[in-house]
Amino acid sequence: MTGIAAVNPIWVLLAPIALGLVALAGAALNGIVVAHAQGRSVQSGMASPILEIARLMRQRRRTTVAADVLLWRIGCAGLVVVALLKTAVIPVGAWVLADIPVGVVWFNALDVMVWAVVWLIGWGANSAHSLAGGYRFLAQAVSYELPLMFALVTPVVAAHSLRVSDVVDAQRELWFVVWMPVAFLVFCMSVVAFSSWGPFATAAGADIAGGILTEVSGVDRLLILAGRYALLTTGAAFAVALFLGGGAGPLLPDWLWTILKTLLLLATFIVVSHRIPIVRPDRLAEVAWVVGLPIVLLQTLFVSVVVAVKG
Amino acid sequence: MARRAVQGSHVLVVEVPGWSETRMRVEAELARSGWVAALSPADADILLVCGAPGQELAAVCEGVWAQLPGPRARATVLTEGGVVSTLEQLATELLDEARQRRDARTRSRQPGEEGSAMQHIQSSAHEAHGTAHEEGHSRGHQPAEPDADADADADADMDMDMDMPMPGGIALASGGSDRDGLEMDVLNVPLGPVLPHWPAGLVVRCVLQGDVIVSAGAEVLPAARQANDGGGMGSSSIRRSTHEQGRRAVVRHSDAAVQVLALAGWSSAAGRAGRIRDNAVSGAALVDLAAALEQLGRRIKRSRLLRWTLKGIVVAPGFDAPHDGGSRADAVSVRDRLIEWLDEAVRIARGAPDAYESPEFAAAQHSNLAALPGLITGTDIASARLIVAGLAIDTAKIAYAPEPLS
Repeated sequence: MTGIAAVNPIWVLLAPIALGLVALAGAALNGIVVAHAQGRSVQSGMASPILEIARLMRQRRRTTVAADVLLWRIGCAGLVVVALLKTAVIPVGAWVLADIPVGVVWFNALDVMVWAVVWLIGWGANSAHSLAGGYRFLAQAVSYELPLMFALVTPVVAAHSLRVSDVVDAQRELWFVVWMPVAFLVFCMSVVAFSSWGPFATAAGADIAGGILTEVSGVDRLLILAGRYALLTTGAAFAVALFLGGGAGPLLPDWLWTILKTLLLLATFIVVSHRIPIVRPDRLAEVAWVVGLPIVLLQTLFVSVVVAVKG
Repeated sequence: MARRAVQGSHVLVVEVPGWSETRMRVEAELARSGWVAALSPADADILLVCGAPGQELAAVCEGVWAQLPGPRARATVLTEGGVVSTLEQLATELLDEARQRRDARTRSRQPGEEGSAMQHIQSSAHEAHGTAHEEGHSRGHQPAEPDADADADADADMDMDMDMPMPGGIALASGGSDRDGLEMDVLNVPLGPVLPHWPAGLVVRCVLQGDVIVSAGAEVLPAARQANDGGGMGSSSIRRSTHEQGRRAVVRHSDAAVQVLALAGWSSAAGRAGRIRDNAVSGAALVDLAAALEQLGRRIKRSRLLRWTLKGIVVAPGFDAPHDGGSRADAVSVRDRLIEWLDEAVRIARGAPDAYESPEFAAAQHSNLAALPGLITGTDIASARLIVAGLAIDTAKIAYAPEPLS
């Protein structure tokens, strides 16, 4: 495998399309899982994201009494923007849009943007259920953010670099997932959490009438739903770069390996999520701080010691 | 494109006390056709009322209807047989461009105007009847009412809106000490009656700080009349065969399990319970149902994650001495109730008698409703929702067999 190089900026135009297609594949898989559970055909499940897009494009957007419209709309559009900005540092095979020296920090900074964006969605509607959704997301974010940061730091320590391409290059002999599985697991759980997905979807829970989604309709809702899938997708793609050797693999071209691994991880996120109960933020806080943070710190320590001994 | 849009319509289902089987039939039909049950009015294309709502509940439905973004359609179904044809007709209405355009033109661009006009009518009507507390109620139609203020006296609140320029005519939330003694905004938020996985017609008026309930009061909005179709709970059921009673009991228990599992966010288990319920509704053999329920029960008992996430959510606090008749000395958690229902459903499916028609069952519903505010005070909304689902109050029994409550 050759080193990763930044491509012509014109490829920026392709990135949203690629992201959209992979995210749509994720949504289709989710539709299939739901259809299977309801005893419907696979085709009807596969079509469900298309039907949902058509429905939401046809629906009127609405406002509520005394809504903070500007902040609300910023929040609704924000998730997609964050996901798109993340694609800038994600290498696909040997190509990356921006091979900046602090790529990992860029990704993490955008994770933190999600805090603000989800909170704005919850806040803007001026509705009690939306607000409760916003509270829940922040409570959850307080739990996942520190473990996530240490999970990100671990491959960085091993690669001696914050540049994503260096991290991928450092895995030529051994994928990082092999000797830092805890960091990989914590990172994956955090991806699911910042995408408000599956067991970490309390911010949009049915018990608060959809939480942050309670008051949004039409195109705003479409942007939020698409943004969640896009975040899940970029998270999976970043995990591939950090832990699963990027585009490394036999026979197939490296860009295809990146996409295949991303799809596989995305599919795992989606299928597993249906099979486990939701984790309420107050329960998560206890586990994340008492168990999660210490073990991911031990993981980082272990990697640091190995790196120091090997020189 | 419009045709595709309608193929996956989202339906907001409002159940009137007594029409639970109609609602279940709707849910089964939605699952079969790939339609989706909406979580909130903003999410919905269709408002479907199951049953004949009483005056208050009908007013709530009007308020909810005003919140549907549009294109929108609505209908009322009274019989299980009418579900399929009603849904088909609603789909045609959604596709009727001319009709939708007309509807959109008559609507105000300002949010809440339709709703608030209705509220004014309501409040004057209530003043005429001299029922002061109802006013606060009419503000609580929409499940997602914007922050109401903490003032219990809604008349004063109305006056204040007129005197002071408040955003959207809503007074600012006032503060109060929270459970840690810190000052925090207080919101009056009604939970129900239009909420997913919520007992029909139940309204719990909560005072919230953050998402913690600091005080609550519960009541049931009745139907206009007693249901006399499949969902009927009254005199028509006397002549029912024991087999039919057993089937109904299985339906009731598995539906209760669906609600708890759905609120616990365990979608695959909730889906499984839902299919068992739907099979029971459509008359599957009780023996098969018993086997399926037993399997589901084993899966639920095995799940450590469910045990952990439901830990400490209690539907009946422990007593040193046995309280009234049925209750036990140990605290009963939501998980205990869930397992109890499934075991009970298996027993009934295998021929054990059901206590549904007994006066004790109705009395238990009343005492559960009375105990509800105490149980949810001090919990967050998520726990409170699980507690409400764990009590599984049969609101039809309360709406039709009134018992003096204080």
